[in-house]
Amino acid sequence: MAGSNEKVLIKGNYAIAQAAINAGCQCYFGYPITPQTEIGEYLSAQMPKLGRGYVCAESEIAAINMVLGAAATGVRAMTSSSSLAVALMQEALSYAASDELPIVLVNVMRVGPGLGYIYPAQGDYNQSVYGGGNGDYKIIVLAPATVQECIDFTYRAFYLAQKYRNPVILLADGLLGQMMEPAYFRENPYPEVDVSSWALTGAKNRDSRAIYSLGPDEKKQIQHIYNLFKKFEIIAENETSYEEFETEDADIILTAFGSMTRNIKAAMKVLRSKGIKAGCFRPITLSPFPNKRINELAGQGKDFLVVEMNMGQMFKDVKYSVGGQSRTGLVNRPVGEWLSVEEIVEAVENFMEKSYAASIQYS
Amino acid sequence: MEKNFILAGFGGQGILLAGTILANSFMLEGKNVTWYPCYGAEMRGGTVNCEIVVSDSEVSSVHKQDTDYALVLNQQSFDKFVHRVKSGGTIISNSTLVAESRPRSDIEYVFAPMTQIANELGNSKVTNMAALGVLASVCDVVSKEYLAKGFEKVMAGKKKELLPLNIKALERGYGAHTQAK
Repeated sequence: MAGSNEKVLIKGNYAIAQAAINAGCQCYFGYPITPQTEIGEYLSAQMPKLGRGYVCAESEIAAINMVLGAAATGVRAMTSSSSLAVALMQEALSYAASDELPIVLVNVMRVGPGLGYIYPAQGDYNQSVYGGGNGDYKIIVLAPATVQECIDFTYRAFYLAQKYRNPVILLADGLLGQMMEPAYFRENPYPEVDVSSWALTGAKNRDSRAIYSLGPDEKKQIQHIYNLFKKFEIIAENETSYEEFETEDADIILTAFGSMTRNIKAAMKVLRSKGIKAGCFRPITLSPFPNKRINELAGQGKDFLVVEMNMGQMFKDVKYSVGGQSRTGLVNRPVGEWLSVEEIVEAVENFMEKSYAASIQYS
Repeated sequence: MEKNFILAGFGGQGILLAGTILANSFMLEGKNVTWYPCYGAEMRGGTVNCEIVVSDSEVSSVHKQDTDYALVLNQQSFDKFVHRVKSGGTIISNSTLVAESRPRSDIEYVFAPMTQIANELGNSKVTNMAALGVLASVCDVVSKEYLAKGFEKVMAGKKKELLPLNIKALERGYGAHTQAK
């Protein structure tokens, strides 16, 4: 299933799994957890047929450490899991970032904190963007909004991971994982990445290599961390991506990530029909975050209203990016039905009413 | 145009499959569609449902609080979803297993003996296809012809011998209802 223009009605989880195969994923290691178990289920059937590796590990911690091992040999490797189990993987993510290992982790979010439940939510923005591992490191985070993007962003995740030797998280949610939508599997558009200069492939006819994160030499460790952050500056320069709709003449810009994107786009249409100049801004890369563009738009006096299914995690990044140039509001719910178009419209109307005095101040 | 549907019934009545066939029929017609199942700690004999949104443009929201159409195959689902139908919407019920009642005055009620139709055809498993037939006859957006194509698409290569019986159930469901306000 690659290189076809024919649309198929497919679940987000299966779409991610098939896209991983198309992207050349050689090894999958995982441990089942709702709402993403279909990814492992699909790959358990398909990977052996293709002569590729599939291991149902004994735990999530084992799974991600197996991914680290595989990635160190230069092959494309991934795991997938959900919120509370991704929490278990944070130590390995910190190692992978320090070791510069190109791993792909799919997180199909469910509600927390703690055990929470299997309902979809968006509460892992902070866990993904800021990480729960130790030390200074950064992860690339991609947030798909549709099943089609689950496919396209999986291709991109594998490419970015190897291109920059950096862990990539594909941040989906239970809604996206469980829903079906028409989508098609285009060819993986990204080129192969040469890994021969660093991959551990056996030191035949070359000097031996080692990949480790131990840094007893203080000077070297300082340089190592600076290098990691310089690399991430380049990533931010090249790879920051976002979508915006009708922002040009907008007074207020609705902002959301992931599957909430379609709700804000629909709300924008309703608001426009009521004569309210609304626009939409949707970060595709949550890390690197498109703070420059938000800052620019805020500089033109446009207010931001962040819509998310958590207690206001991306809100803080938007507010920071706005930098006090205009107002930033939040409409949210921690779990449950995705905020409806009607609720978003109402929130905007309230926000605009209250903002009247404030908006004059900034105009 | 955007319409949403909730399909609900007992686990085993083919609800998720019926939803998949319906969603495929919309896709084959060139419309935008999403399908979202309830998922949870379900058990045999419990209720199951899925939500389908069809739209000419982008689907606005996948998981909504209310619905234009509810297709319910058992009493529990009727009791639960009759309150989630939008004012002016329609609830379509399997009268073999759902007692005829009209707890609200602002929605349309459609009753059809879906399980009975399937039993008369000799296989209660085609209740879901009879139900889709009823849905097609009361809902302009749903096409019987595309439902048949949707069935073929979902069952492609798997169980082709089941096609004639299922198409028969679809046909028998079509128009087999009583409607009242």
